[in-house]
Amino acid sequence: MPNQWQTVLDEIKSNVSDMAFNTYFGKVSFNSEPGGVVVLTVPNVFIGTQIEKKYQPVILKALKASKIECKEFRVKEDDKGNGTTVKRGREIIEEPEAPRTISLPPRIKTIDDRSTKQDNGLNPRFRLSNYVVGSNNDLAVNAAQHIIENPGSRYNPLFLYGGSGFGKTHLIQAIGNEILARNPKMKVRYATIEEFYKGFVSSMKNKIDNWSKQWRDIDVLIIDDFQFIEKKDATQTEFFHTFNELYSHNKQVIIASDRLPSQIKDVDPRLASRLTMGVPVDIQLPDFETRCAIVEAKAEMINGAIDKETVEYIADNIKTNVRDLEGELNRILLLAEVRGVSTREIIGALEPISQPTRRKLSSKQVIDKVAKYYNLTSKDLLGSSRLKDIKNARNVAIYLLREDGLSTPQLGTEFNKDHSTILHSLKVMAKNMKADFTLREQISEIRSKLNAN
Amino acid sequence: MKVEVLQERLAKALNIVSRVAASTKAGLPILSNVLLRADDKQLVLTATNLELATVEYVNAKASKNGTITVPAKLLSSFISNLPKETIKLSSEGDKLTIEAGGYKSIMNGIAADDFPELPSIDEKEAVTFKIPVDLFKESVNQVIIASSNDMTRPALTGVYLNTFDGMLYIAATDGYRLADKKFVENVKSEIKAIVPTAAFREVLSSLSDDMEEVEVSVVDTLIRFRMGEVEIISKLIDASFPDYRQLIPKKNNLSVALDKAELLRMTKVAALFAQESNGSIICEAKKEDGSFSVSAVASEVGENSSAMKADISEDAKVTLNSRYLLDALNATTEDKVILEISGKLSPVVVKNVKTDDYTHIIMPLKS
Repeated sequence: MPNQWQTVLDEIKSNVSDMAFNTYFGKVSFNSEPGGVVVLTVPNVFIGTQIEKKYQPVILKALKASKIECKEFRVKEDDKGNGTTVKRGREIIEEPEAPRTISLPPRIKTIDDRSTKQDNGLNPRFRLSNYVVGSNNDLAVNAAQHIIENPGSRYNPLFLYGGSGFGKTHLIQAIGNEILARNPKMKVRYATIEEFYKGFVSSMKNKIDNWSKQWRDIDVLIIDDFQFIEKKDATQTEFFHTFNELYSHNKQVIIASDRLPSQIKDVDPRLASRLTMGVPVDIQLPDFETRCAIVEAKAEMINGAIDKETVEYIADNIKTNVRDLEGELNRILLLAEVRGVSTREIIGALEPISQPTRRKLSSKQVIDKVAKYYNLTSKDLLGSSRLKDIKNARNVAIYLLREDGLSTPQLGTEFNKDHSTILHSLKVMAKNMKADFTLREQISEIRSKLNAN
Repeated sequence: MKVEVLQERLAKALNIVSRVAASTKAGLPILSNVLLRADDKQLVLTATNLELATVEYVNAKASKNGTITVPAKLLSSFISNLPKETIKLSSEGDKLTIEAGGYKSIMNGIAADDFPELPSIDEKEAVTFKIPVDLFKESVNQVIIASSNDMTRPALTGVYLNTFDGMLYIAATDGYRLADKKFVENVKSEIKAIVPTAAFREVLSSLSDDMEEVEVSVVDTLIRFRMGEVEIISKLIDASFPDYRQLIPKKNNLSVALDKAELLRMTKVAALFAQESNGSIICEAKKEDGSFSVSAVASEVGENSSAMKADISEDAKVTLNSRYLLDALNATTEDKVILEISGKLSPVVVKNVKTDDYTHIIMPLKS
């Protein structure tokens, strides 16, 4: 009812000077709330004070003249930004009076609950519905779905491995959350191996007897960052027994690590073989389309407005892991917010060099670097020796150059090989890349060397 | 009202108070006035533009309490030109009579009833800090240089007071650079408030050598500064400040310590050649030569390049706005500065070598 307020304003205007009216009432808006409460929204606290202390009689009179019921009258500052928080704590600098805890109802920002961790270690934010499935992880997701349907049956134990930031934690947390969603009575426990280790150490120190019991009395055990078990012999033994206990009772065990157990230093072979007797499944770096989907999903999760160009820009330039994708997305959204422009304008101003993979090196430089990395010469790589080491290094060079966009015939001329030989090398590499963690590490190391200068 | 006050004291107080009143745009006439209130042993001067208010308490001898408002600028200029003597102020209706020795003048004022009442702080809700004047001056000066005056983005026209990990920080950014300073340690309260840069500037220019500390009190709509006999109250900017900590790079490829005076000189020299390109200069670190150079090219004028020896761990090159680099260097407090450079487009970090409480970030220019 804007007209009603207009009459009130006209009434006020006839009672105060034009200047004063423009100064104090120019940006004031009226609103009524149920129960005869009239709320005046004012631009700032100075104006609010005048209205409250000086003009209240004038306003009440005007309301009455316009026949608007007003039992209560309130003034509030325009709170469109809602960006201010002042919560008084126990300050040492203040007068030594008893500390007061003050909560100011109108403007306290609710604390972001995204990182809430529950007692069982699970973060409810991680669900299967917000996990982006692509060719890099479809096997793992498939296994996860099986486990959610029937914990402790086919994929037990599930051993997930893949580089850092590829989405392992999200997936195993999602398994836990989905199982709980279906059956809230299940005892699900998520912990990193670090937490397991710390608990174990303090139970030894404080002689807590039933510590191991709490780990053996659960339905689904999810262990993250398993690679950190390195060099912790007693923890390994404890974990070995916990694992045996759970496994023999058909309880589900899920483990995530950045490499296979056999590739972790000092892991007891008995434990290693047990952990991989289910299915070791690897999660790889998402491909371009999947990366686009991930960026879009992340943007949606944080309500960031983003256009297709920006999504593709990020997916195209960040080829390391999902965490970096998220980082770049946040950075661009933030820059867009700070500068008050669209994300498209931000990427227009940025050049794709934050991720240096784009740099073009000549094929000779690449071959030199690869040879140097494996302590060989480029002559070896370009020659025809079929010694295993040389062959492997040659395959790596071919693989890297192919990634850089060289065609197979071009590679053929470069290495003085048949087109089909090159194809074979690429096939071998594709296979090994899936299976061999150390090879993946070597490739990424060489790549960072190539990008370094 | 009848009151006696020393010319020196009154002139100084009016000088501070009238700045706020004088800056009022054409509007309500009383806002360009200063409110005088005689109150037993003091004379209280108040001016406001309805966003900011300054109050100053001056020792005085009042034989009759009372209030009046008169044009602030006129009163200030008049008093500052009087000889150093005791000044007698007396009001009669809307007129203020000022007498000092042989000088006498009568000013037309406005009754004090129409003067805006100032919002007050609820001491029970306020979070209060006391900061030594030197630290206050240094910190605020280090930060306000990065604040924006683009009114279309109000959040950036202020200084962001925020608590993080038990410390109170002040930060400002204009989207192209950012300054962040640890302000108070061991803070238990939670504060997120944007204070108009204008309020901080007003506080800075009201500080004098005889003051020891600044008392800052914040509630959710207001901030109050108290120092010596001066009190400044300001509204807060109600907007949300960007989550700026994300903009601070966590690690950088190259971190190099450089002699500040030398780098300042090199930057100033390069800036002369960078006028054509809007101040864009190129900073380059070369590992092989162990050198750090600053250069600029202006096709019309010519070109310039200067270098100094430095311990470089990694090659790096970045294009910066020379004005931003100069501001950042001047804001650091030690003889040496650390420059951290990552890529051509990653933010450059400028900070002190020994102390870690100040971080200045400059976004590179697209070269």
